[in-house]
Amino acid sequence: MYRLRYFALLFPFTLFGQVDTTLYSRLQIEEVVIYEAANGLSINSKSSTLQVNISRTELRKAACCNLSESFETNPSIDVAFTDAVTGTKQIQLFGLAGKYAQIQVEMTPLVRGLLSNSGLNFIPGSWVHSIQLTKGIGSVNNGFESMTGQINVELLKPEDLVEAAEAPGAEGRGDIQLNAYLNQGGRFEVNEAYGVRINKKWMLSSLGHFSGRQQATDINGDGFMDNPLGYQVNGMLRARYFGQNGWEGIYTFHALEDVKEGGQIARAFAPGTNTESLWSSAMKQGRVAFTSKMGWVNPDNPNQSVGTIFQLYSHQMKGSMGSDLPATLHSQWGGAQNGGLAQILFQHGWGTLSQTSSVLFLRDQYDLSITHPMLGQGQPWVEQGVGLSSEWTWSPLPSFTAVGGVRYDLHSIAGHQFSPRFHLRWAPGEKHTFRFNAGRGFRMALPLLEEWGRLASQRTVEWFQYGQVLGGDILSLETARNFGFSYQWSFLLNYMTGSLQADAHLTQFSKAIIHDYWTPGVRAIYPTQTQFGSERPVMTSATWGASLFYHVDKRTELRIAYRFQDLQAMYVMPNPIGGGYGRMLSVPFVAPHRMMAHLSREFKGDWTLDATLQRYSKQPIPGIDPWAWPSVDYAPAFALLNAQIRKDFAHGDLYLGLENVLNIRQAHPIDGAMDPQTGSPLLPSDPYFQSNFDATRIWGPIFGRMVYLGTNIVL
Amino acid sequence: MKKRLTLIALLFLPVIAMAQKKAEVRFQTDGVCGMCEKRIETALLAIDGVWTADWDRESHETYVVFNPKKVKELALHQAVAAVGHDTPQVKAKDEDYAKVHACCKYRNEDVTKSHH
Repeated sequence: MYRLRYFALLFPFTLFGQVDTTLYSRLQIEEVVIYEAANGLSINSKSSTLQVNISRTELRKAACCNLSESFETNPSIDVAFTDAVTGTKQIQLFGLAGKYAQIQVEMTPLVRGLLSNSGLNFIPGSWVHSIQLTKGIGSVNNGFESMTGQINVELLKPEDLVEAAEAPGAEGRGDIQLNAYLNQGGRFEVNEAYGVRINKKWMLSSLGHFSGRQQATDINGDGFMDNPLGYQVNGMLRARYFGQNGWEGIYTFHALEDVKEGGQIARAFAPGTNTESLWSSAMKQGRVAFTSKMGWVNPDNPNQSVGTIFQLYSHQMKGSMGSDLPATLHSQWGGAQNGGLAQILFQHGWGTLSQTSSVLFLRDQYDLSITHPMLGQGQPWVEQGVGLSSEWTWSPLPSFTAVGGVRYDLHSIAGHQFSPRFHLRWAPGEKHTFRFNAGRGFRMALPLLEEWGRLASQRTVEWFQYGQVLGGDILSLETARNFGFSYQWSFLLNYMTGSLQADAHLTQFSKAIIHDYWTPGVRAIYPTQTQFGSERPVMTSATWGASLFYHVDKRTELRIAYRFQDLQAMYVMPNPIGGGYGRMLSVPFVAPHRMMAHLSREFKGDWTLDATLQRYSKQPIPGIDPWAWPSVDYAPAFALLNAQIRKDFAHGDLYLGLENVLNIRQAHPIDGAMDPQTGSPLLPSDPYFQSNFDATRIWGPIFGRMVYLGTNIVL
Repeated sequence: MKKRLTLIALLFLPVIAMAQKKAEVRFQTDGVCGMCEKRIETALLAIDGVWTADWDRESHETYVVFNPKKVKELALHQAVAAVGHDTPQVKAKDEDYAKVHACCKYRNEDVTKSHH
């Protein structure tokens, strides 16, 4: 067991995923079996970072749909809507948007550039093998972008499918996995995973996904559909190679198209109304990517290895929002991001000391444009860079690990960037683990388009800077440092295992893009940076939390968690004479107190019940008082309860769930959509609509209680 | 209020669970690998009254915590033997032993040697 983990930390850690055991499975098959029998949510006490592994078992507990929803049973991550019309969900780590975490698929970038807004929606949950969530800054070798943490998603690989079918005891379970899902909101989804062995060296697999929504619903009667209509077709073909002499490789081709259309529904208005100029949103995205990963482990010395990652991608988007009436803010944007990366990793170990070094080239060619009554911009640019990194791990005792890494980037826009990172783990005794981390990261923002959902508003967009609101210049650089400390206690109580975990993290930005909603009717976007000679960060996230996991008995698992998060940013108070004053204010849409309780129980006859209760405290949201600055409102505290019951069969399972059991809804998620007197939906031609429309002040669910039904079948 | 009651109820679950009487027992069980471990533990955990079960691959020792009011110790041995593994009190029937996977044939010396 120990040997496995030790080994798993070596080569596959950097190339084939942190918990990847494929290489090792060639050497010690049985131990892999034990490793995979781990809990749904587990923290590896041997890892130097605070890393939570989310297994497939765990993902079945929140059975819908894509990656952004996979975190609903996880106490560290919040899932929030960006706006009330596009249906896009985003995650938050430490209260900070998901874009500040480094989100990767098998160690290659996913949520980056044009995909910052909806990248998570492009990974179907049933393709996922496991997720590794690292709280606190990640490894230097994985790139410069990890500021709050790192999320790595391992997808099903050919061998996961083939070996599941070939394994002793599989008893006729085949290599085709199917999933189907349908919910009350009209969303349907079908997924497929199939693996086949070609010969001793090669395996192939295909992953397929089709989802969509054809039926518009409007629960709150505001004339806007609750979720956009549209579809997503998504497919992946993968080839896996295991050669002689320590060679292995995986080659992946990925293509998808996603179309979403939302906005007002014609039938919501009285018969005879002219519904030609309704407010609508449309978004079409497409992506094609090819990834090749190859690795070689020296068969004579498994402590030596070399890996290469090579990726090419092309991503296109085209969107529009608004009504064709001149008095409404109609915006249209489009863009392409073509790019790729090449990385070589070298690893060498000498007993208690090991190092991994990497050379990374990356290049992105952007061509973006937007037309908006206040903004008209379009420009192509190239972002490219080379990064050198080296990370040293020293583990003189099983109870102690120190990891120090440095990274130097020469970036075409950001210039010279130096990112040191440091991790420490100390585990006195088997039961206690302390961890500390510190480090620096940076990223390039696309200030307007990485949050395109927030264009669903009559707020005027103000970019009072000389730079480019679409990005591509030095003003779009964001830099942060992160410090974290955690303590983990594993205990045995009443013969059953449990763990208590507490952590505190501080993230400080010296450069950040601020989205300022504190003036009603205005959305100001501006870059800020720590002034010369001052140490004061322009955005900080201070967070601490504790969670308790306990197996109450052999069939019952309980989790209770609490988290406090304080997120503040420097906002510039507008001054009528000119200039402005900076003031630190709480960032909107972040609930300072979060609580979660999760209960999972297995019953006889292969029935399983999962219930998750989440509580969000009162949170600041942009206000509507035009005479105040900042104009702040508070959204009320609320709780969400999700429950699901599942029946397992020999060849799959069937699940029935209820989301938002307490039927909590934000009564008016879209401002200006309804007549304040009569409550009937308004057309965009109405002056009240034109002066008040805003779909970005969303803090809670739109749909309310929702039933869903799904099934997994193995053929 | 409803939420608070739910939370309090959740907190009391462990207390209810602890109120039950428990006995510990350890006995040798023949087996070889991780698959055997899973088979033995699954068979024991399926019994009502068994609290936790663990088979150690190094020492071949099975450790069971159970409620003696609900289940007799012999029943534990019988359950393990029924899935094909010998214990000091109950030897697995040949037809049950025949069902275990080829790599788990602990009565075969070649198989046990290959696991060391």
